[in-house]
Amino acid sequence: MSLERKEEHDHKAWMKKKDLTPIEATFLTTLIWLDKRLRIVDYLELLETLYYKVNLQMPKSHTEQYNLDNKFWYWYPLYTLGLFSTLAYVVAAISGALLGFYYSPATSGDPTTAYNSIEFIMRDLQFGFMLRSIHRWSAQVMVAAVFLHMLRVYFTGSYKEPRELNWLLGIVLISLTMVFGYTGYLLPWDQLAFWAGQIGVEMSLSVPLAGEWVAQLLFGGFTLSQATLQRMYILHVFLLPFVVTTLIAIHIGIVWVQGIAEPH
Amino acid sequence: MSDNESETKEIRTDGTGIVAPDNETPTWSERKARKTGLSRLTYEYFERARREDQDLRTESDYVERDVLAFPTWPHETVRNLSIASFFVGMILFLSATMPPHIGAPANPSQTPAIILPDWYLYWSFGLLKLNPLNPELAILGGQKIMADRTYGVLANGVVVGFIAIVPFLNKGSARRPVEQPFWAAVGVAGVVFAMTISLLAVKNLMPMNVDLLFDLTFLLPIVFGTVTYAVLKTMREGYMYNLNRRYYRLRPPK
Ligand code: HEM
Repeated sequence: MSLERKEEHDHKAWMKKKDLTPIEATFLTTLIWLDKRLRIVDYLELLETLYYKVNLQMPKSHTEQYNLDNKFWYWYPLYTLGLFSTLAYVVAAISGALLGFYYSPATSGDPTTAYNSIEFIMRDLQFGFMLRSIHRWSAQVMVAAVFLHMLRVYFTGSYKEPRELNWLLGIVLISLTMVFGYTGYLLPWDQLAFWAGQIGVEMSLSVPLAGEWVAQLLFGGFTLSQATLQRMYILHVFLLPFVVTTLIAIHIGIVWVQGIAEPH
Repeated sequence: MSDNESETKEIRTDGTGIVAPDNETPTWSERKARKTGLSRLTYEYFERARREDQDLRTESDYVERDVLAFPTWPHETVRNLSIASFFVGMILFLSATMPPHIGAPANPSQTPAIILPDWYLYWSFGLLKLNPLNPELAILGGQKIMADRTYGVLANGVVVGFIAIVPFLNKGSARRPVEQPFWAAVGVAGVVFAMTISLLAVKNLMPMNVDLLFDLTFLLPIVFGTVTYAVLKTMREGYMYNLNRRYYRLRPPK
C-alpha cells in the first residue's frame, strides 16, 4: 500500500479529464465535498433501491391495462379536489402564520385586545385587510374542496377495498378541518364569535355522561372567558396544525402507495 | 427441526456469530426455522407474501413503471404547477373582491337576534333543531328520554358514524354510480339532506313556513334519492351492456 492515492480515486483529475460545463463542475464538486463528509452516496443508493422496489412492483394501472384513458379524462377534473384541499391548506397556513404575528388572544379591555388586534390588522397594517381576507377565503375554499373531494370519492366508489382506512382517515380529516374553522371563527371575539362559542359550550355540555369534562377541556369552563379564547387559540395555531399536517401526509402517503382508484 | 437444533446448540467461542457478517445474514427461511409460535407464523407469512409478489411480478399485468408511465417532468410537473397557480390565483381573486368584515365586539349581556357558525357547520347546527323528532315515550309517561340538545348532539355522531362505515356496508368492485343505483341514490339523498338541514339551521332567515321547511328537510332527500335510483336503474341496462362488451373483449371471463 502506498500513501499516494490510486488513480481511480483521484476525483479532481477525473473531473479535469471530463471537460465539464461550469454547472456540472459545481454540482460534482459540491457532491464530492458533501459525500466525503456525510457519505451521501450510500444514502442515495438506499433511496434508489427503495425507488425501484416501490416503482417497479406497482401493478399496471387500470387505464393502462384496458386502454381506458378515454374514460379517465371524464372524471379527471374531480380528481384534483384532493390537491385543491392541500393547496388551500398551505395557503391558509402561510397567511395564518403571518396573521399570527399581529394577533393576541386576550379578552382584557373593552373592546377586547383580541378584537382590537383584528381591527388593527384590518385598518392600520399594510396589506393586513388582504391578509385576513386571504386567510378567511382559503379556509372556506378548503372546507368546500374537502367536502367535494369526499363526494368525488363516494360517487366513484373509491372508498372500497383496499382504501377503507383512507376513507376513515378522511372522515377524521374533514372533522378536524371543521374544528379548525370553528376555532378560527371564535378568535376575532366579536358578537358572532362569542355566541357561536356559547353554542359550542352548550353542545359540549349536552354530550351524555362526559359533558362537563368536555366543556372544561375544550372551553376552559362553562361560561366563555379568557380561558376559552386561549384554548381556541392554542388549538387553532398549535395543536391542529401539527395533527392535521401529519394526517394529510399519511393520507397522501397511503394514496401514493395504493395508487388512485380509477373508474372503469 | 432436529438438525436445526443441533446447529444452534453449537456455541462458538471465537466471537463470530454474535453479529452476523453481511454474507451470513440469515434468510427469512433460516430465521423462520429458529422461531416458534407467533413469530414463526409471521415469518411463514413473510415468505408466502414474498412468493406471491414474485409470482405477480412475473405475470404479464405487472409493468416497469418508469418505462411506460406518463413522464413526471415536464408533463406532469408543468400541468400540476399550472393547476396550482390557477387555484391559488382563484383564492387571491376571491379575497380581493370579497374581503370579510368584522361585527360588533363580543358582548355577553346582549344576545344577538341571529347566532350562526360559518356555513360549513350549518348542518351540525341544523341537527340541533330536530326537537319534533325526539320521541316522547309512552313508557316514560310521555316524557322525552333525553334533552333535545343531547338528541341533536347525538345526531351528529350518527351522521358521521354512518358515513364512516360506508366502506364496510358497500363492498365489491363496482365503482360507477350506474352499476349500483342504490348507493348512488343514498349518496344523492345524503348531499341533498346536507343542504336541506343547513337551510333548516337558518330557518329564521328563510322566507317560508317553518313547518313546511321542516317537512321538506326530510322529504326532499327522499324524493331526490328516489329519482336518482329510477334514472340510474333505467340507464343501467344499456350502459352495462356497452361496458361489459368492452370489458370482456379485453378480458374474456375465465
Ligand atoms: C384535509 C382534507 C383532505 C386532503 C388534503 C385530502 C387529500 C387527498 C389527495 C391529494 C388524494 C389523491 C386523489 C385526489 O386528489 O382525489 C386523496 C385521495 C383520497 N381521499 Fe382524501 N383528502 C382529504 C379529505 C378526505 C376525506 C374527507 C375523505 C373521505 C371521507 C377522503 C378520502 C380519500 C380516499 C378514499 C382517497 C383515495 C381515492 C382514490 O384512490 O381514488 N379524503 N385525498
